[in-house]
Amino acid sequence: MVSGCLAKIVSSDTRHNYVLHYLAALGVVLLTPVIFGVSRLDELLAAQPLEFFLPLMGAILMPAVFMPEQNESIREVVRSKKTPYLGVCFMRLLCGAVFITALTGAFVLYMKSMDSVVTMRLFAGSLASTFALGAAGFFASAVSDNVIVGYMTAVIYYICNFGLKDKLGVFFLFSMTTGSFEEKEWLCILSVVLVVSGFVLRRLFRER
Amino acid sequence: MLFGKECRRILTSLTFIIYCFVVGLFFVSQYIEENKGDPYIPDEKISEDHDVIMNGAVGNLANEYLANNYICYPYGFYKSVRLNEDDSQKVEECLLEVTGLTHDELMDIRDSGEHYYVEHGLQETMYYEIGELPVSDTITYERFCELMGQVDDILGGGSSYKVEDLVVTYSYVPMTEEDREAVISDLYEKDRVAGGYARLFSDYVGIDLGIMPVFVAAALVSADRRKRVSDLIYTRKISSLKLIFTRYAALVTMMFIPVILCMIAAAIQLIKYFDFNDLALYRMFTLPTFWLLPQLMIVTAVAMIVTEVFSSGIAILLQFAWWFSSIMASGAKLSGSISKFDLVCRHNTVFGRDEFMLSRNDFIFNRIFFFIAAIVITAITAYVYELKRGGRFHGIRLFGKDSIFRHKA
Repeated sequence: MVSGCLAKIVSSDTRHNYVLHYLAALGVVLLTPVIFGVSRLDELLAAQPLEFFLPLMGAILMPAVFMPEQNESIREVVRSKKTPYLGVCFMRLLCGAVFITALTGAFVLYMKSMDSVVTMRLFAGSLASTFALGAAGFFASAVSDNVIVGYMTAVIYYICNFGLKDKLGVFFLFSMTTGSFEEKEWLCILSVVLVVSGFVLRRLFRER
Repeated sequence: MLFGKECRRILTSLTFIIYCFVVGLFFVSQYIEENKGDPYIPDEKISEDHDVIMNGAVGNLANEYLANNYICYPYGFYKSVRLNEDDSQKVEECLLEVTGLTHDELMDIRDSGEHYYVEHGLQETMYYEIGELPVSDTITYERFCELMGQVDDILGGGSSYKVEDLVVTYSYVPMTEEDREAVISDLYEKDRVAGGYARLFSDYVGIDLGIMPVFVAAALVSADRRKRVSDLIYTRKISSLKLIFTRYAALVTMMFIPVILCMIAAAIQLIKYFDFNDLALYRMFTLPTFWLLPQLMIVTAVAMIVTEVFSSGIAILLQFAWWFSSIMASGAKLSGSISKFDLVCRHNTVFGRDEFMLSRNDFIFNRIFFFIAAIVITAITAYVYELKRGGRFHGIRLFGKDSIFRHKA
């Protein structure tokens, strides 16, 4: 019963609020082979599209979790409902994560079919960067109650990886292109910490 | 006063505080850190010699054509392009015209040399040792550029034959001691030191100003809807033109203040490291203003109109795409290549006055174009706002309820 209700919420939510976001994420994947070479690449070169471009999907989908309720009128209606608001947000986040994983997986298979060396660790590393970038935007969006601040944070984090590579240390998103994978574990931890603390802080300060 | 009120709203907005922090952070970490101590003097210079350019380009094109493997950087990232027979034939025609050779003569040159392999990823490409190819006596430089442009189009752009970049790609020659002295003398005499540093300053700060203003502008414009005060503002006496232009002026003024503070800091740093009499300090203010203000204006104007017509999310997405393509299109060439419609103009060196002067006219056109375009776009935004105010337009929703893609019975 509850799961049926949640499924209904998610499907209606997606149709009304997130089609453009999902299409934009799909656009990122479709644009990648136009910008990057994808055929017959070794592990280092194959990491380029997976790290430089696919993580933008996280920046598009994850900070937008709180977007529909940015309008005060919608928020008041949502507050009057029995269904827990943060539960719906969690479902949105989960849908985004599944979509990102599916698209990244499909792209990895496509690269494999083009005779590039794409291993499981490249796939996992790409997802870690995507979720870390998205989680940074999600956290900022949750705490500030402003989706634009969420997008801004994700974009700043992304740009920092081009200009402040050494200063980011273990939180460097593009480490696989330099042959290093240990940063990815830290990025996973960062993602989980930011998502959990985003929900907790939102619950404590915004949705009481 | 409305202008003052809008400025106060911007000053207290979180997006503006983050904007100031980012502009400051990038300025300190990139510009200030790099310019502690003596500047780096390059080892090579641009010669602009047409023979050097044509010889270099012909040699590279022949090598890539014979290997049928063209290394391109369409958006700053590596891409290897292999052509089908038709396109390869078209490239060959260009190559033969430039060299004045026949197909058989070209094949003879290919077969007479050794071959070697180069690894690109997993791919081992066979190249031919063909030596220096001739350049036809009858071909003019203009025709050569035209043919290189055709080759670049066939390759999908981003190749080593992009016409605007031919000079910077192929005419670099090693610097002699005299050249090095001339470069330093240019910095002191023609640029009066501050001119060279002003270009580097504008290069670094321009990267932030290509994207960051969109967040501040989109947040301010969408705040009316978010806070449900749109209807209240619609009923006020003030004209839409005055309201939108005041808001726009407030945004541009407030966002340019941190840039001016950075200019002052950069000027102080120059005074610290150079003799005051060698400096034309005013250039640290005039050039960056001409360079950066139109950029800030166009980004703000585009953000405002897209947010009014569509939504803040689409404004951010579009601006990011524009900024990213502009940054990446310059690829590895961080100086000497400014074209007429580049959003972000790059010139990442204190020296290279000659390189900069090569694209000076395009640069001036570029900045004036964006300045005028920004004013026109803001006027259109005011018109859109007026339509919304009169209930004749409600913005465009792409998906969801009342969207333009929804079938209406």
